[in-house]
Amino acid sequence: MVSMITQQTIMDLLKAEGYIADDAIGTAVFLAIRMEKPILIEGPPGVGKTGLAQALSKSLDFPMVRLQCYEGIDEGKALYDWEYGKQLLYTQLLRTQLDNYLSVSADLREAVERLSSEESLFFSENFLVQRPILRSFMSEKRSLLLIDEIDRSDDEFEALLLECLSDFQVSIPELGVITAKRKPLVLLTSNGTRMISDALRRRCLYLYIGYPELEREVTIVQATFPEICEALARQMVEFLNKARELNLRKSPSVSETLDWAQVLSIMKVNQLTPEAVAGTVGVIAKHQTDLKKITELAVQEFG
Amino acid sequence: MERIVTRFVATLRESGIRVSPGESLDAVQALGTCGMRSRKISRALLRLTLVKNVNDFAVFNEVFDRYFSRFQFVDPEDDLLTLMDAAILEMDGEFTYLNELKDDHDDEPGPLIKIDSEVNPEDLAELKSLTEIDPDDTDGTEMQVHMKGYREKAKKPPRPTRRYVQNPLTIELGKGNSYESSVTFTAEEQAAMQDVVSKMMLRLRKDMKRMKNNQNRGKLHVIRTIQKNYRHDMVPFQVIMRRKRREKPRLIVLCDVSFSVSHASRFMLLLLHTLHNQLLDVRSFIYNRDLAEITEMLANMPVNELMKAIDTGDIIDLDENSSFGEVFLKFKKDHLENVRGRPAFIILGDGRNNYGEANDWILDEIREKSRYMLWLTPEERETWSRGDCLMDLYGSYCDKVEVVNTVDDLSLVVEDLLRDVYANQAHPIDRKLIREAKAAETYDPADYYRRGTNSDSKPDFDPGGRSHW
Repeated sequence: MVSMITQQTIMDLLKAEGYIADDAIGTAVFLAIRMEKPILIEGPPGVGKTGLAQALSKSLDFPMVRLQCYEGIDEGKALYDWEYGKQLLYTQLLRTQLDNYLSVSADLREAVERLSSEESLFFSENFLVQRPILRSFMSEKRSLLLIDEIDRSDDEFEALLLECLSDFQVSIPELGVITAKRKPLVLLTSNGTRMISDALRRRCLYLYIGYPELEREVTIVQATFPEICEALARQMVEFLNKARELNLRKSPSVSETLDWAQVLSIMKVNQLTPEAVAGTVGVIAKHQTDLKKITELAVQEFG
Repeated sequence: MERIVTRFVATLRESGIRVSPGESLDAVQALGTCGMRSRKISRALLRLTLVKNVNDFAVFNEVFDRYFSRFQFVDPEDDLLTLMDAAILEMDGEFTYLNELKDDHDDEPGPLIKIDSEVNPEDLAELKSLTEIDPDDTDGTEMQVHMKGYREKAKKPPRPTRRYVQNPLTIELGKGNSYESSVTFTAEEQAAMQDVVSKMMLRLRKDMKRMKNNQNRGKLHVIRTIQKNYRHDMVPFQVIMRRKRREKPRLIVLCDVSFSVSHASRFMLLLLHTLHNQLLDVRSFIYNRDLAEITEMLANMPVNELMKAIDTGDIIDLDENSSFGEVFLKFKKDHLENVRGRPAFIILGDGRNNYGEANDWILDEIREKSRYMLWLTPEERETWSRGDCLMDLYGSYCDKVEVVNTVDDLSLVVEDLLRDVYANQAHPIDRKLIREAKAAETYDPADYYRRGTNSDSKPDFDPGGRSHW
């Protein structure tokens, strides 16, 4: 199925999941699938970076493996870890077997040799805890690996990702190199709070998702809330587009548009008035100073 | 196709976008898998694979338009013959154009010679005398015109005292032409500042890492050690120590935004903005005659917006003359009470009080509350007590007074300060290590006077020749 895919089919599949993609997004996803390269997605918060991953995982039927980054994340949390408890438990339970096994040997040296020949038993995949990245590599089905908010992690973690993302492999000292069974579709998202290193950028396709154009945003609102008539949706989006030019401390993004649409549809508002905006302004503005600016804009627009 | 892409990549590189060979291979592969059905898709493909930064999108689009404008995509349905005709026509046009060009060249020498013949010796003498005018002898706008001409040649920045003659007329005129042109920072300047800061961070990191490693020194954390070693059958392989609470170093910065030092404070603000949250807890104030705290704005607004707000006088009135005495008084009244944690104090200003009350006793009180006081001034030492400059008086209260003239100077000074501040809060063992490391470095006291003035090495950060203010 994957080999038949084109940009258009991806956009259609996403649309069926309620995600309205533009050409750039469709092309990027198509390329990422065909070239087996990760996509680095940047853009302001709330424009649907994570949403894209979720919609893709559903529409392409790739199970999603999500890795949320934070300051101080390391390989034990992202790649793999050894399950010490289980190892101890097994040695305890197998004590009698071990005794029997070792009692055959004549002296201590031989016993040690016998034991070390079985060492690999205790450092096998049986005792390996698969963390998100390894789990997505070991998945039988092609999976979707979402590395969310990579800009929150440290430089060291970024460097750790380089091997995984360019060669789709994980080096474990005790086991050797584990290569991915099926190369996952990797999506990295970033809010741009920190500059991502060029080395990582070089390994990825770069997709910038900004605020959508007017038409697309109207379609997004209508796709999510069919009960809202087009005139209202258009009015909302036009208003929010003006609000975005106000230099607010937190500009309303697509997620705010959708929240607002939901509120308006619950309140059964058919047309925007200064009162309607004033009543629901808390949904679009998230700072005290922004509240005032937006209510003023509403009076100016609809008053 | 490979050749076209490679040439395109070369053009991109010339325009300042960094593209690695691997990325151009990606581009070729992408074009291979997707095909070149339309211009739009090809543009999207090339952009996806070659450009890895939002700020470069504009440049990319421009280069793309320029590069692919002449090579129209060939429609397979088009007749080959018409295509041929078009090509011939184009070639023809090229030839006639070249011919015209040649004709132009043939014509050109004529009038030039005529002009030459009309120049008489008096004119030449006049021209010569113009170049001999000493820029220091003039003042006012004429002086500034000269400054513009000499900017390239001048190795050293002009002395601020001479440059901004305290004459209302010049100030007014100066505002009109040179001042407004440099209100905000361009994307490149911000990127360059990022560069300067990241270099600084790298240099600082060595010390910080050492400190962080030793951060855990302390008493044994019994409960967490037991928890952690549960998996080892309670044999304490991994020891957890009680962590000492460590705060980010605090810093209070007062920036003069009046005309005379505005450039310096702008860069200072940008520097702090970039540094903020990385390793500092900064409170920033701007002042002129009035004082205003801008910490919140600096953290939440885009820098350029803030700069615009400052320039339009929304925050404080820019038309007033700066008065240090009043600013200190206001700072004591409104803010000194809630200064806590013994912050380091940086004041950026020229110390020109416009003959007002000095109020230097307040500096003494501030000094009591702060760990360290640093004054940055753009003026050379010899002018510190000239005219209305109170630098000598104010400087006597500070731990250190530094002359900063370039962004490099500024970043060096701030780096030194950070190191000092960090070292002060560090564990005694770290402090010893740092002291030893410092002693091991060969330190030439003369470097202090030489730094930043080395004319051979161009400063790292010099977009648009603005490194001198």
